[in-house]
Amino acid sequence: MHEASIAQNVLDIAINTATENSAIKINKVCLKIGQLTAIEENSLKFAFDALKEDTMAANAELLIEHIPIVGKCNNCGKKDTYSEMFFSCSNCGSYKMEILSGEELSIKEIEVD
Amino acid sequence: MEKINIEEKILSKNIKKADALRELFKEKGVFVLNLVSSPGSGKTSILESTLTGLKDKYNIGVIEGDLQTDNDAKRIRKLGIKAHQINTGGACHLEASGIEKSLEQFDLDNMDLLIIENVGNLVCPSSFDLGEDCKVVVISTTEGDDKPAKYPSMIRVSSALIINKTDLLEHVDFNTEECIKYAKGIQPDLKIFQTSCKTGEGIKHWSSWLAEAIESKRKS
Repeated sequence: MHEASIAQNVLDIAINTATENSAIKINKVCLKIGQLTAIEENSLKFAFDALKEDTMAANAELLIEHIPIVGKCNNCGKKDTYSEMFFSCSNCGSYKMEILSGEELSIKEIEVD
Repeated sequence: MEKINIEEKILSKNIKKADALRELFKEKGVFVLNLVSSPGSGKTSILESTLTGLKDKYNIGVIEGDLQTDNDAKRIRKLGIKAHQINTGGACHLEASGIEKSLEQFDLDNMDLLIIENVGNLVCPSSFDLGEDCKVVVISTTEGDDKPAKYPSMIRVSSALIINKTDLLEHVDFNTEECIKYAKGIQPDLKIFQTSCKTGEGIKHWSSWLAEAIESKRKS
């Protein structure tokens, strides 16, 4: 359940940013999460909701943008989207894949009052 | 209502701390290994077998991570090796800040190898950089050969895989080739070791890989 630790980090960054910008309330927190990260969305939302109580993000909604796994084959050069971590090139079968996206674990923006 | 653009990594605090630790380990010439696996795969037994052979040649320190007890640290101390136990309470992984704090217990100027035995968990520790040179994942033959397929995130961030408890292969349905095939499909550059702490099989091979890594990191 490392989602609790991740949710706490999200909250810390959101609150620090909001405070620096003289906001009084956080309404939305938008994240980008790649499919290669081992994050379970429901656990993350559950932890976020538990931790946000009594903070300026008490009513904040957590929005998650899922980033697909995109790999480029270092053998034949084909770029494609993959659904699992176990993947070989859809064109030539090589496992020498360079990952172009899917590793994201970032906080994109917040909406505040 | 106002939008504020952030674009910051969620674990940036941990990443920064881990990067600072990595710098420190580089400066001191300490090779750092983050040993990960599910509970009971034999991480501590592997350390006992390995470190017995390395301790006369190298200065070694071990950080043990568990929810409770200092059983593992005690086992390492019995070998005459300095060990510090972190009890996480309920947390399922170690973080860089915990490692930084533990370092107060060690003399990095007189250390060649630091091993961090992470909390037994095949998921969570994969997300937390501890400033290590590499992660090594252990899968034991009693766990099933499809572990790499089920827990790919850990395989992806590891540099080596130790298949442990090979002495039990004749009693369990574990297809070593399948296991390796899955693992290499996720991480093609993965080094593979096969060990048994009961018979000693493969320990030498694994130990020489570790010794080589220590030598290349050591301050000349």
